[in-house]
Amino acid sequence: MSRLKAGLTWAVMAVLTVGLLAFGATRSSGPSTQEERIDAISKRLACPTCSGESIYVSRASAAESIRNEIARQVAAGQRGDNEIVAFIESRFPGSLLLPPTEGVDSLVWVLPVVALVCGFGGLVVVFRRWQREGRARANPDDADIVAAALREHDDPTDGL
Amino acid sequence: MRPRLSRRLSPVVGLVLVAFFVVLAVSKPREEADVASPLIGNPAPSVRSTLVGEGDFDLSRRKGSWVVLNFFNSTCVPCRNEHPELVAFADEQAGLGDGAELFSVINDDTDEAVSAFFAEKGGDWDKVRDPDGTIAVAFGVAKVPETWVIDPSGFVRMRVVGEVTNSFLSGRIDSMRAMMSGSGS
Repeated sequence: MSRLKAGLTWAVMAVLTVGLLAFGATRSSGPSTQEERIDAISKRLACPTCSGESIYVSRASAAESIRNEIARQVAAGQRGDNEIVAFIESRFPGSLLLPPTEGVDSLVWVLPVVALVCGFGGLVVVFRRWQREGRARANPDDADIVAAALREHDDPTDGL
Repeated sequence: MRPRLSRRLSPVVGLVLVAFFVVLAVSKPREEADVASPLIGNPAPSVRSTLVGEGDFDLSRRKGSWVVLNFFNSTCVPCRNEHPELVAFADEQAGLGDGAELFSVINDDTDEAVSAFFAEKGGDWDKVRDPDGTIAVAFGVAKVPETWVIDPSGFVRMRVVGEVTNSFLSGRIDSMRAMMSGSGS
């Protein structure tokens, strides 16, 4: 009965974990302000003239130009965030700091989560197996030893 | 054994080092060449701006002639190096009936600095303002100098990153012009 309860608890936890991860990965954060959109897009793109800096951080002339273009396109409201990122990437190849979240590229985001869930499940299975194998069972000799010890405990003068 | 080995190796190492420095000293700088861009073969981005001095610039109104856009900054050393070549190119094209039109696109620079530079170094072609970098981003220009060639139909034909020479630019435009007139006939 207790084993069944433990199994159910693990199953519920696994379902909750996967569900919450899926929800977190796909949920829409709702409407954001133009500034928030500009910042979010700028953080996804690398400065083309400075190594390791995002458009958001860099003060280089090229980065400022790209930030202006992002602001202009956000203000125009004709393109979504991914489309703006794709436009900048088409002009400055290799400027993506984060892989896309759509199409085959989204596997980059999904696979680590799948690996995490599989790893977690694997650990659960291994721990349960260890628990089963490690459980000691008393044989008749052990029972005799325990009985003798109990007798001794009940009658301490017995040995005198 | 070891001292003998190092005695044998030291001339070889010395020779390799000398050869390395000779190669560095005599090697020519990288020659200009076309650079890939998704814009090549596609309609040029819309470019509307104002000119240093006075007047407006609209790239779509230049259709009918070859247009050369040179992205430029008066403080950049390669830009200053290539300037005499651009002056020669502009002069040569002006002498042709259907010569290419050259425009400098000002990248992160002031009107005063640009005007002073052209007054000193020559060159009377139009200078296009790009105060917020819109034109540079539209073409994917991160560093200057960079030169783009647009054909009379408004399609992007060539991109050169770094310094250009008059002979290279004229030669490429001539061959593209010949190719287009050949395919059109």
